[in-house]
Amino acid sequence: MEKISVIIDGKTLHAVKDRCVLQVARENGIYIPSLCYNSEVESSGGSCRVCLVEAHQGGRMRLVTSCNYPVRAGLEVKTDTPLVRRIRRGVLELLLARVPDSEVIREMAAREGVTEVRFRRDEGENERYKCIACALCTHVCAEVVGVHAIAMTERGADKKPATPYHKPSEVCIGCGACAYACPTGAITMKETDGVRRIWGKDFPMVRCSVCGAPHIPEAQVDWIVKRTGKDRAFFDKCPDHR
Amino acid sequence: MVEVSVFDRIIERYERSEESLLAILQDFQREFHYVPEEGIRRLSEVLRVPESKIYAMGTFYKALSLTPRGRHVVKVCTGTACHLKGAPQILEALERELGVKRNGTTEDGEYTLECVNCVGACAMAPVTLVDEEYHGQTRASKVMDIIRKRTEE
Repeated sequence: MEKISVIIDGKTLHAVKDRCVLQVARENGIYIPSLCYNSEVESSGGSCRVCLVEAHQGGRMRLVTSCNYPVRAGLEVKTDTPLVRRIRRGVLELLLARVPDSEVIREMAAREGVTEVRFRRDEGENERYKCIACALCTHVCAEVVGVHAIAMTERGADKKPATPYHKPSEVCIGCGACAYACPTGAITMKETDGVRRIWGKDFPMVRCSVCGAPHIPEAQVDWIVKRTGKDRAFFDKCPDHR
Repeated sequence: MVEVSVFDRIIERYERSEESLLAILQDFQREFHYVPEEGIRRLSEVLRVPESKIYAMGTFYKALSLTPRGRHVVKVCTGTACHLKGAPQILEALERELGVKRNGTTEDGEYTLECVNCVGACAMAPVTLVDEEYHGQTRASKVMDIIRKRTEE
């Protein structure tokens, strides 16, 4: 791994070449707000536009999304200039107009001084009330979990993650990784009496043989056993009692 | 319900790769006037592409429809030039004449009425397409004549 040095907010930092600016900033304790990027998910990022920064290189400056902009020798990044703050406020204002019910967006916008929007607020259908259509959930489902239960459907303002025909998915394992990864809490996952409900489908849970707590959907155990050959008995107990 | 073999005959015309997806979906659209759910399922099995991915494609492209469309598709251009030349009136008149709302299909499955944004023939505005055939300088009555003639054929 080739190491290079870059400057972020005046600090000279050593970083692995081609790692993204956001990752390098985080590793060095520099905060850049972001929503749709997850370092564990290969194709995440580049969608929410919240992590915009100034990238100075070769005497030119460009506004780039730090989550998918690679660090190279000679790069200088500024994360907190008046321009960056102004554009970021604009992005957050648009996001707030789209998902006024999302606490995450409200808080992030408020931190940047955005509490009101000049645009018509989105009264969207419930299923995407908090969804900013960043597609992180679908990337997680496809790349990390590997089941492809959901995908981004429709386009433009109607774009949203969904199972085929909005019906209970035949391949979903109820793992909840999409809900966990969602930056705005837009995916509802509920558990009642040992049954988990997500994407309109019910998943009976395995109960821990020690404490009786439901801890993993049966369908997820089936998937893990099939994919990895792991001993099914491993899942008899919850993580606390293994 | 369409037989699986009907889908297979179309799928067989193409290479078994993900790149064939759109061409096959277009063929489904031509054959059935929409992309049937069973067709997407069969395609997913044969090409080994996740169903969610194919469904997403179906919702993305305007040329593909996931709900049955009429035997004849009437598209009223509502782009800027056509709008100024009276497309909204044409659309309203057709809705009245066919007894169906925009983006709807008549109960007898004969007609689907759609509005589209610019078909690239602004000089002919207002433009209406009847089964992919372009008609320029149209009025609602003229479009109805064309539609009636089509149906008789």
